[in-house]
Amino acid sequence: MSRNQTQWTQRPHLPSSHYVDPAIYFDEEIFKEEREKIFSKVWQLAIHESEIPNPNDYRTYQHPAGRELVIVRGEDMKIRSFYNICPHRGNLIAYEPSGNAKRLVCIFHQWAFDTKGDCIDIPRGKEGYQDRLCEDDVGLKEVRTEVAYGGFVWVNVDDNCGPLSDHIGHALDYMLPELESEPLDVFWYYQARLKTNFKLIHDTNSEFYHDYLHYHNRITGMMKPDSGYFQRKYEAFPNGHASVGSMKVDYESYKGGGHSSLGWPELPPMGWKLVDLFPCITFNLRTSVLRIDSYIPVGPNELILEFRALGLKSDTPEIRAQREKDAATIWSPFGRNLHEDLLASSGQGIAMTADSDPMYVLHGREENQTIHDEIGMRHYLEEWSRRMGRSSSDPYARQGTAKSA
Amino acid sequence: MSTNRGSIEELIYDSCLVLDDNDYDGYMALCAPDFTYKLSAYSPEVKREMAWLDHGRSEIEELFKTLPKHNSDRNPLTRNAIVYKVRIDDDHKQADVVTRLQIFKTALNGGHTELFAVGKYLDTVSLKGEQPVLLNRHVKLDTRDLGWGYHVPF
Ligand code: FES
Ligand SMILES: [Fe+2]
Repeated sequence: MSRNQTQWTQRPHLPSSHYVDPAIYFDEEIFKEEREKIFSKVWQLAIHESEIPNPNDYRTYQHPAGRELVIVRGEDMKIRSFYNICPHRGNLIAYEPSGNAKRLVCIFHQWAFDTKGDCIDIPRGKEGYQDRLCEDDVGLKEVRTEVAYGGFVWVNVDDNCGPLSDHIGHALDYMLPELESEPLDVFWYYQARLKTNFKLIHDTNSEFYHDYLHYHNRITGMMKPDSGYFQRKYEAFPNGHASVGSMKVDYESYKGGGHSSLGWPELPPMGWKLVDLFPCITFNLRTSVLRIDSYIPVGPNELILEFRALGLKSDTPEIRAQREKDAATIWSPFGRNLHEDLLASSGQGIAMTADSDPMYVLHGREENQTIHDEIGMRHYLEEWSRRMGRSSSDPYARQGTAKSA
Repeated sequence: MSTNRGSIEELIYDSCLVLDDNDYDGYMALCAPDFTYKLSAYSPEVKREMAWLDHGRSEIEELFKTLPKHNSDRNPLTRNAIVYKVRIDDDHKQADVVTRLQIFKTALNGGHTELFAVGKYLDTVSLKGEQPVLLNRHVKLDTRDLGWGYHVPF
């Protein structure tokens, strides 16, 4: 039965944890608060160490809290991160996304910094500043950095944050043998700029009911009773993280550029493990390729998605080519599944706006924490609500009245 | 056969026209039995060449057959090619061709056209038969951010 306006805007007859006020996906105020209360506080996966293998290698990173960072491997092989901003007159220091520089030299007036963030040269410093200011006063702003969980470089712009391990807890334990069996190596990095809310992307990574969207996943999993598809279970961890149990993917059933039997150390054959980390990171280990998603929200309805695909550092060229081929079937901008995921999440961004009068969004499936249960999204929003001090189903605390927005 | 640059250029342009029409049979008819297709892009961020499609003839045919079963962006593409270089190797009866490629996307809803991608075709063309045919196609993209992506190869 179709609904009238009153029915359309009514709260669903479900617990408040089982539906969402759509305003959290497009409200400007809420987005600003997310930057302050979430992105300025949590650990963020910035790059993988294989992107800066040599001393003096650097990579830039656009941090979701709004900071531009430069991540540098020092002569001592230690990886450090700094604001990518020159303390003199605020110019960008590193312009290119990657490079190698013994000294980071600002092009503007040639102030120079070493890989520890110390200022080592102010041209004609004495003449201009006499004894009023010297190199020691104008070092770069360092950002908390840790390298962990498979060689990923994590950053936190809050100087007072706890260690990364406090934030991750046991969420990655389940994938740790695979992440740490051998050194990893990035082989793809690409971005996708989309008009949608970052939480809608993360929701799609956090629920598998949407396998109806994917012909590939239906034919290689959902429709194969022996695959263990319907036995996959969610496990929720503190701080908003969740993992999804493995299955045996029947790649043979998919014709159209199949997946090989090349596997991954420690992962069961044809296995598939997934871990979603709060607020916007996914570790997705599918048989022979580790895919990492991380997002840079730039507005309530705009984000840059960062995709990485990783193999093993020990890969021969032949094995690497096979991993790429496996990854390409479902991922890459031409991959069958990723395009479908991004179409759907972007469709939500198009359909749900401040003016489009969207209804409450349902997160209400309960199936004993198995694969079509929507606990992953619910668990995520519980943490979101805690950090924001707002309920995701009633962000303006108007319970009892009609939908906000 | 007598090959001239014109017939090779026409092959490249035909390959664009048939793919713009999603005429996959038409496309395969322009390809040699041992045709290979590769699409890659170089990432300056991580300094790696990324192969996003890498298929032999049978795999690409299988891919074309499977695409209708998927959910896809159906906004059509226009492939605009300009053949820059043709190097004919008479001894091996083949030619290397470098083509500059621009791909536009036109919205089904409203008809707005946007530039979607730029890159090159690096082709090897076989000149052994009646008509030149594609032996290897390497699409080398400059564009790497393709938004939500696209299912049909360029
Ligand atoms: S702004 Fe960097 S040296 Fe002046
Ligand atoms: Fe998906």
